[in-house]
Amino acid sequence: MGDIYQAMENTGFAFWVRESGSLWSYPLILSFHAIGMGMLVGFNWALDLRLLGVAPQVPLMAMERYLPWAWWGFWLNAISGVILTFADATTKMTSWVFGVKMSLIVLAVIVLIQIKKQVFVKHTSDGKVLAAISIALWAFAITAGRLMAYIGPVSGLKGVTN
Amino acid sequence: MWPIINGLSKWLMTTQLSHDMAGGWKWGWATCETLHFVGLCLLLGSIGVLDLRMLGFAKHIPPGAIHKFVPWGVAGFAINLITGSLFFIGAPFQYVKNIAFLFKLIFILIAGLNIMYFYIGGVRKQIENLGPEDTPPLGARVVSWVSIIAWFGVIYWGRMLPFVGNAF
Repeated sequence: MGDIYQAMENTGFAFWVRESGSLWSYPLILSFHAIGMGMLVGFNWALDLRLLGVAPQVPLMAMERYLPWAWWGFWLNAISGVILTFADATTKMTSWVFGVKMSLIVLAVIVLIQIKKQVFVKHTSDGKVLAAISIALWAFAITAGRLMAYIGPVSGLKGVTN
Repeated sequence: MWPIINGLSKWLMTTQLSHDMAGGWKWGWATCETLHFVGLCLLLGSIGVLDLRMLGFAKHIPPGAIHKFVPWGVAGFAINLITGSLFFIGAPFQYVKNIAFLFKLIFILIAGLNIMYFYIGGVRKQIENLGPEDTPPLGARVVSWVSIIAWFGVIYWGRMLPFVGNAF
């Protein structure tokens, strides 16, 4: 497996992202990753808060209109995240904290899909329990993401800022 | 101006709080970074739902109702103001000589003035009585665009701190 991660890290694009020193490479992709996080978690949290009773005058069914914006954030981060992973593959792919972060994101996305299904499509749930779980999962995912710079293997590669 | 900033920064570094943030409290920096991201999401989401409504999305929602999310955005900002101040107190010279920090402050100022215009300039009143399906006036749409661009700018320049300057 180590060879594969090495190969990922040594692709021309990954090398450029990491070591070009350009503000348009690693730094810009990292800021996209922060903006995507703000959109995905931000709109998901706004929906969760509404489900839990905040802004009760807002028609619940209309909150569905904000979901595509959360998904825009998701895809922005899926793409920027894959690039950031390639740029630092030998560290990221062997970090258990990274694994925890990815697992938490998968769970949080499953919960979001369940909210969509149970609250907006089938109307079988008020979504309160799902909303509470959703808020916690995203908070843990953010925490795990940040702790990648502190726990487990931390990259020493040139150009990688943790 | 510089001697004052320099002197204040040096004084900050003599405080116990600064020592705590700069390593005395082992997990202090990482904890504040995590909370800073939580605050970012809370702010962007809570303000974002209002901005998007004022741009004409989610038209079934009365703008006055979605405005109820603003206190949560303020809470996000408060979290980030506190944690951000703790970073500054912990390592002031990472920021006072960092052009990215100056740009970040400018974008926060733009966002703040924009919010003032929203409340004092009458835009809040204009949208208050809009019903569902109503298209918001031009002023509200301009405020929304400025808000989105300003907060994206704040995030961008915050993320640039370690690359343009010397902050970690």
